[in-house]
Amino acid sequence: MFNRAEIIDQNFSRFVRAAHLPQAQSTTSPEDAGLKPQHFIDLFESQIISRHLDLQARLLKNQHLCYYTIGSSGHEGNAALGKVFRFSDMAFLHYRSCALMIQRAKQLPGSTPIYDNLLSFMASSDDPIAGGRHKVFGSRPLFVPPQTSTIASHLPKAVGAALSIARAKDLKLRDTELPSDSVILCSFGDASVNHSTAVGAINTACLISYQHMNLPLVLICEDNGIGISVPTPGNWVADQYSQRRGLKYFVCDGLNLCDVVAKAKEAESYVRLRRRPVFFHLKIIRLLGHAGSDVESTYKSLRQIESAEFNDPLLHSARTAIKYGFLSPHQVLDLYETLRQQVAAVTKEALARPKLLEPGDVASSLTSCAPPRTSPAPSTSTSLTLFPPPSGRWHLAKLINFALAELLERYPMALVFGEDVAAKGGVYNVTDGLLKRFGPKRVFNSPLDEQSILGTAIGMAHNGFLPIPEVQFLAYVHNAEDQIRGEAATLAFFSQGQFTNPMILRVAGLPYQKGFGGHFHNDNSLAVFRDIPGLIIAVPSNGFDAARMLRALAKEAYERGRVVIFVEPIALYMTKDLHQTGDKLWTFEYPLDPEDEIAPGEFGVFEFSSKQHPDLAIVTYGNGYYLSRQAEKVLRENHGLTIKIIDLRWIAPLNKTKLCEELRGIDGVLIVDECRKTGSLSEGLVALLVEGLNPLPHIKVEAAHDCFITLGVAAAAGLPSQESIVDAALKLKSRSKPNNREGTL
Amino acid sequence: MSKRKRIVVICPGRGSYTKEELGYLAKAPSLIGDFLTDLDQRRQADGDPTITELDSAANFKINLHTKGEHASTLIYACSYYDFARLDPQEYETVAITGNSMGWYIALALGGSLGWGEAYSVIQGMGSMMRNQIVGGQIIYPICDENWQIRYEVEQEIGLILEEINSRPDHEAYLSIRLGGYLVLGANGPGLKHLLKSLPPKDHYPFQLINHGAFHTPLMEDISQQAFKHFSPEIFMSPQVPLIDGRGHIWKPWSCISEELYDYTLGHQVIKPYDFSQAITVALKEFGPDHLVLLGPGGSLGGSIGQILVANRWRSITDKSEFQKRQAQAPFLISMGRKEHPL
Repeated sequence: MFNRAEIIDQNFSRFVRAAHLPQAQSTTSPEDAGLKPQHFIDLFESQIISRHLDLQARLLKNQHLCYYTIGSSGHEGNAALGKVFRFSDMAFLHYRSCALMIQRAKQLPGSTPIYDNLLSFMASSDDPIAGGRHKVFGSRPLFVPPQTSTIASHLPKAVGAALSIARAKDLKLRDTELPSDSVILCSFGDASVNHSTAVGAINTACLISYQHMNLPLVLICEDNGIGISVPTPGNWVADQYSQRRGLKYFVCDGLNLCDVVAKAKEAESYVRLRRRPVFFHLKIIRLLGHAGSDVESTYKSLRQIESAEFNDPLLHSARTAIKYGFLSPHQVLDLYETLRQQVAAVTKEALARPKLLEPGDVASSLTSCAPPRTSPAPSTSTSLTLFPPPSGRWHLAKLINFALAELLERYPMALVFGEDVAAKGGVYNVTDGLLKRFGPKRVFNSPLDEQSILGTAIGMAHNGFLPIPEVQFLAYVHNAEDQIRGEAATLAFFSQGQFTNPMILRVAGLPYQKGFGGHFHNDNSLAVFRDIPGLIIAVPSNGFDAARMLRALAKEAYERGRVVIFVEPIALYMTKDLHQTGDKLWTFEYPLDPEDEIAPGEFGVFEFSSKQHPDLAIVTYGNGYYLSRQAEKVLRENHGLTIKIIDLRWIAPLNKTKLCEELRGIDGVLIVDECRKTGSLSEGLVALLVEGLNPLPHIKVEAAHDCFITLGVAAAAGLPSQESIVDAALKLKSRSKPNNREGTL
Repeated sequence: MSKRKRIVVICPGRGSYTKEELGYLAKAPSLIGDFLTDLDQRRQADGDPTITELDSAANFKINLHTKGEHASTLIYACSYYDFARLDPQEYETVAITGNSMGWYIALALGGSLGWGEAYSVIQGMGSMMRNQIVGGQIIYPICDENWQIRYEVEQEIGLILEEINSRPDHEAYLSIRLGGYLVLGANGPGLKHLLKSLPPKDHYPFQLINHGAFHTPLMEDISQQAFKHFSPEIFMSPQVPLIDGRGHIWKPWSCISEELYDYTLGHQVIKPYDFSQAITVALKEFGPDHLVLLGPGGSLGGSIGQILVANRWRSITDKSEFQKRQAQAPFLISMGRKEHPL
């Protein structure tokens, strides 16, 4: 009773032979769908191959040779979508899309979908998309970026990709990925529509469409009526989406290939011509449970299971083929067995292919493998024509503003978007004037939904754009972090660098903001980003650095496809003075030379006077650097200490070797970290120094308390301050003795 | 699973019938008696030397045997003969493919063209340049001595082609991707320039005798003539899957014969023929126990070996490993070679 794979396999032959086939649930005929007999059989073959791949996966799982058994059985009607839509219509597919992929591959001669799917099941390093890193449906030549898709986190990017098509045309961009008449496909299950990512993405799609903007997107809901063990209430999906403004709804009988083709053609025609989003509701069934390990009988009766099995879409297709005289029952069975043997033979070959073994090989695809794109040459008139000539000295916000203008000028495919970034110019005026200069196609406001902002960035990047999205406050990242963690950061990894989604995500954050904020506007933890492999994380401490860092980051993103996080310390945006009111020491001239950059990993080193062995070193970044500079003056003038201050600038990648070199021979190292101590960079720095320095210097950490930022006069309570840094430095100095090399923590 | 060995059959192209193959059909002509008689009668009626005459000639004459109007049908007959030698009790042909002109033979063996129709197409396409060959073909290696393909060489050749095509009256194109070799097709000035531009390597670049610029836009007129000359109705769905020169699979039940006609006389004639991709698809989508290269000759074996190496198929990673395996338990059965009698 439990080996349902064997049962549905046997049922197929048994029921076809006995002419005991399920009743049609819809009346659409091949002729209605414009299908010739060969077209129908072509689709049927894709369905059968998909089924045999599922069956093979189950067999291999039993022998511990397959690592993924979430199959496509019951969903094989989606093959029709692989025929109706072009293979250049980029598709973000969920994990039951095998038949669709097989059919789509037929549009591109030379494709080898059986082999490729098997390599993916078996996690072979030869798998052409993920190289053995995950079972995904993906293919660079077939315009299918790989998705994890389990939590509908691919929907926001599909919206972004759809938005990018008209935008590329409007901006007359060359070197984009997607044809200007293409559309975007995105599939997901009925249970997945309940994820906030799905709800948000569909909402954004409707919002865009509602404003009469182009969004050629087909949201394909493959409704099998159940999410793992939880049934979806009867008409939930249709009730939610059949009447949404701005969203055209199509529904079809996913068990009848002809009905799927007919409705898909209508949907295709609508979305291709009207350029408006479509909700394509494919009613199907699920066979073989959720996955190989899922025993359906624990939550379904045998009768329910058998009833679903009798509605096997392959049996429905067999009925159609026989009814219309395309194939005899004997020929259906012959086709089924021939394809079984073909899949089995390819399985044997695929089993012999190599697996990923070495950690270095696994991690080798964290970033792009493609030959780098070349950045456009800098404009000679950069920034000078954009604003009043940026001569004079400016604070951080203005210098970032100039730098963004420079990037928008240099990179015609760069876009700035986020909440309030357009007419308002951002809540801190960092994007002031950009809308006026570059227009609404390149500088635009987003809905108040961070998932959509990040999804838009990812999707746009799939089409060759260089998105520079803004998340208004660091604390707002958290509700959307998976768009970075699970999506943007993993794309290169799961595609062996064949697909990338470069972006520079600007986030205003970190503490010390006076007169406004509390936790929601002053979050002080970067832990949300720090553990994500492959990210570049930057925190400038001043505008002169920020502009030069942004130049380097634009190259990292554009040329090498990197995902970059640029955290801007809000408290320093408008800061002009360092030591006393009016000294203007925290204002800087704009670095006009467009080649003047600060490369990732390059520190800023401050030494008031060059001394071979300073008394102490301070390692810090962001606000910590600013405060340490204030503290240094006190320590120098009042205590006669020589301090070397290292402004890390880059949280990741951290140049560990160079940091150790900078600190070698110094007796005391003070780490100043404005972030909450637990999970902060200071922890990593201590470990790094302990591992990297011998003899070990005395190390002290001055980091923020493990607490949230409050409002009002206590906003800076528990944070490092000039006074606390001076105090910590003096304590550290008292502990370090020139000949004491054992060190303390 | 069937106990018969799953094989993908490969039909050779022009140039496979050399002086060593004289008398190829004489070994057991009765095996294809009716077929051969029919061919000979058709050729007699057309005023051409019969296949039997050509095959049983005392000497191999380049000016006779390599001419398109003779070589094509001669090769067809030899391949047909080898195909007939395959014991269906032992071997299950799961797909058929071919190189260049071998595609027409594949259509015949796969059942997409009947005997007579296949002869018409093969003879017709081979004879269309009877009076004046259009351009020519040059073969050039892109792999090293261990059969590792150097894709940068392919890129360099691409640049050379680009440069040649920028010159007035010069035309040169990729014609066939053939494992570790590229075949280039060009018009007269293009050929001359190619021969000068390609860095000499052993006896390459080498111009193929009596070959036109097949699979290039220079064949546009030939393609148009073919469409006028042949009716789509002579094309049928194959009885065995066919893998074409793009790696596309034409399956018995889902093949639309009009599309097969369009491909064969259109795309296939004027666009590059990717034999490497056809074999790669054969390996990956059919998982055969053996590849079987039909005769005459076995000169395609090296290219097939190079494709196996490129795919690291069955741990064949270089030339010596291929040769070792071929000597012990061959994966590639080359029916035109004496060491592989079936």
